[in-house]
Amino acid sequence: MQVILLAGRYGTRPELPAGMSELEELRGDETIMNMNMGKTLFEEMVAATVAMDEERCVSLARKAVNEGVDPFEAIQNGFARGMQIVGDKLAKLECFLPEVMLSADAMNAAVEVLKPHLVQRVDRGSQGTIVIGTIQGDVHDLGKNIVKIMLEAAGFTVHDLGNDAPVRQFVEKAQEVGADIIAASALMTTTMAHMPDIDGMLKELGIRDKYYVMLGGAPVIAEWAGEVGADGYGEDAAEAVETAKRLLQKKMRR
Amino acid sequence: MIGFWDVIARSESGPLVKEKEFDLHLGRVAKQLVEKYNIVYDPEQVVPADDGLADRVYQASLDLFLEVGIYCRDTGRVMQFTRQEVDWALKQAASTVTYGQGRDEAVMRCRSVEDSKPPFCLMTPVGTPVAEERFVPLVQSYVQEPLAQTFSSAFSQTVHGRPIKSGTPQEVEAAIWNVIKLREAARAAGRPQIGIHNLISNAERTDAMLAAMHTDFGAQSNDGLCIAAIAELKIDYERVKKVVFLRHSGHNKYGLYGPLMGGYSGGPEATAIVHVAHHFLGLLVFDAQWHCGFPLPIHHGCNTTRELLWLVSVTAQALSRNTRLLITVNTFAEAGPCTEMVAYEIVASALAATVSGADLDLAAVARNRHPDRASGMEARIGAEAGHLAARQGIPREQVNEMVKQILNQYESQIGNAPMGRRFDECYDLDTLQPTMEYLDLYERVKEKLNGFGLNYSLLNVCGTPAR
Repeated sequence: MQVILLAGRYGTRPELPAGMSELEELRGDETIMNMNMGKTLFEEMVAATVAMDEERCVSLARKAVNEGVDPFEAIQNGFARGMQIVGDKLAKLECFLPEVMLSADAMNAAVEVLKPHLVQRVDRGSQGTIVIGTIQGDVHDLGKNIVKIMLEAAGFTVHDLGNDAPVRQFVEKAQEVGADIIAASALMTTTMAHMPDIDGMLKELGIRDKYYVMLGGAPVIAEWAGEVGADGYGEDAAEAVETAKRLLQKKMRR
Repeated sequence: MIGFWDVIARSESGPLVKEKEFDLHLGRVAKQLVEKYNIVYDPEQVVPADDGLADRVYQASLDLFLEVGIYCRDTGRVMQFTRQEVDWALKQAASTVTYGQGRDEAVMRCRSVEDSKPPFCLMTPVGTPVAEERFVPLVQSYVQEPLAQTFSSAFSQTVHGRPIKSGTPQEVEAAIWNVIKLREAARAAGRPQIGIHNLISNAERTDAMLAAMHTDFGAQSNDGLCIAAIAELKIDYERVKKVVFLRHSGHNKYGLYGPLMGGYSGGPEATAIVHVAHHFLGLLVFDAQWHCGFPLPIHHGCNTTRELLWLVSVTAQALSRNTRLLITVNTFAEAGPCTEMVAYEIVASALAATVSGADLDLAAVARNRHPDRASGMEARIGAEAGHLAARQGIPREQVNEMVKQILNQYESQIGNAPMGRRFDECYDLDTLQPTMEYLDLYERVKEKLNGFGLNYSLLNVCGTPAR
C-alpha cells in the first residue's frame, strides 16, 4: 500500500511554469508564418511542450498525423521549438531542471506518435546521435544528466549509459547505434584518468575516424581534453550543446 | 531513538521509487515549500539580517526532508524518517570535534550568528590537480599558515610517474602515497601533528581509502574522511561502507554536500532548503560530526555569485539559529591565484559565512580544475577576513553592505574570470613564501577592504591576528 501511495505522490505533475509569453513572440515569427500548415497547430505544439503537457503533446501529434502534416515539420517547428525555448529558459535560470525534464518527456511522447510516419525521413528528425555517460568509477551523474537533457532539447538523439560506464561500453554502444559523437563526463579527478582510454580504444580498434569524442565535467579543462584526444569540450551544458552542433556540422562537411 | 543500523535498514525496506520520480518530487516539494514559507531571495540582502527568514528556511528544510526522504541508488528505495527521529539525531549531534594532537590540537566548536568567536579554519587546495613534484610544497603552503587548524590535500596528477585510475591497483598505491605525503608536508611545515580533515582525495573506491588509513602511513587517530552525498539527497552503498569503517576506527568524519542551484532543486530559495536538508541526511546516514557545504550554481564553478552568497548566508543562519551542528562553508572561487578578483571573492564568502555562524573551509580557486592554480595565500586571505569579522563583532547589516561593495569589485567578471598564476609563479619555491607581486596585491586589496570597514590594523605585522 505504501508503494502505491508514494508512487501516486511522486507521479504528480508540477505546476505549469510561468513564461508562456514566448508564444506571443512566436506570433510574428516568419519561420512559423511560412509553414505549410496553420500556425495555430505549431504554436499549440510549442505551448504544450513548454507547459510540460504530455497528454496535449500526444494529442497534437495525433492531430498532425490525421491532418497529413509533415511529421518532420511538426517536430522541428513545433515540439523541438518548444524544447528550445525551455532550454533557453534553463540557460537564463528562468526555469530549472525538473521543468526541462518534463518538457522533454512531453516532446518524446509526441515523437513516439510521429515516428512511424517518419520512416523515410527519421534521420532528418534528429540533429545527430550521441552516446553519453559518466566514466568508469564515477557515480556522479547530475552534470551528465543536465548535458543529456540539453542535448535532447537541441534535437539530438541521446543514448545514456548512466554512470560508472566502462570505456568499452561507450565504444560498443556507439557501434551499435551508429553514433556520431561519444560524450563522457567525470566529476572526480581520479575517474577522469579513464577518459583518455576512449581515444586509445577507438584507435586500437581502427574506428577512430567514425566518431567525434567530447569530454566534460568538473575537473576537466579544454586543454587537457585536447591533449588526450578529444575533438570537443564543454565547460558547461550550454557549451557542450554548441560543441556537439559544431562537430556535427563538421561531419556533414566531410 | 534511531540507531545507525536502523537507518541503513530503511535503504532495504523503504518504498521503491524510480530515481527520476524522486528527482521530480524533490523539485516540486521544494518549490511548494518556498511558497508556503514565503522564502524570497533579495539581491540587495546578500547577507540577510532577518531571523524570521532563516527560521522559515529551517522549517521548510525539515518539512522537505520528512516529505522527500533520502534516495538510496543501490536499492532504488526511499529512506523515510519521522520528525521525532530527526529531532533525536539533532540532540545527539556533536557540538565539538577535535583534530590534531599535542601542540597542534584544535577544537571545532559550534558557532552562532554574529558570534565573536573566530571561525575554525580548515585550509585546503580542495583536490586541485598538481604536478607530482610540487604536491608537498603546495600542500605545505597551506599547513604553514598560522591560522590553519586542519588541512587536506591537493591531487597529484601522477604517483610514481603513473596516472591514477579509479578502481585499479594504482588507486590503492596512490591513496597510501597521498597520506604519506600529507604527513610529510605537515612535518616540513613544523606542525607534525596537525589534523588532516580529509586524508584521501585521490581515491574513489572504499578499498583504496581504507588501505591508506593505517597509522604507519601517517594517519592519526583523529584525522578523518569526508562522506559525500552523490546528488541531491541521494546516497549509495560505496559511501556508506566508509561510514561503517569510520564508526569502528574512531576517525573523525564529516558530510559533504554540494547541491546545484538551477538543477533538481530549482532556484536559490529552493536550493537553500535542499541544502539545509542535506545536514539531516549527514547526521542520520553518515553519522557526520560536522558538515561541509559547497553549493554551486549550474552555470559557474564558484559559490561567490550574489545568489550563492545569499544561499550560503541564509542556510548557515538557518542551521546555526536552530541547531548546534558544526557547519562549514567551502568557498569555491572563479578566479585563480594572485588576482584581485580571487581575493575579493574569498573575502566576500568568508565574511558572509562567518557572520552567519559557519566555519571556513578555504578554498577552491580557479574553478577548482586548473592544474597548479591554488596556494595557501588564498586560504590566508579568507581566514584573516573571517577572524576580523568575528573579532570586530560586525553585525549582519554591516557585512551585507561590505559584501555588496566587494561584489562590485568582481561581479561583472564572473564567467570570464582571470586564471591568475600557477603555484610556482606566485610562490618562491625555495622559501615557500608568496611572491612580492602577490603580497603587494593583497596589500592593495586590504587597503580597499579597510575602506569598507574591515580593520586590518588588528592584524600584527606577521599577518596573524594580535592575541
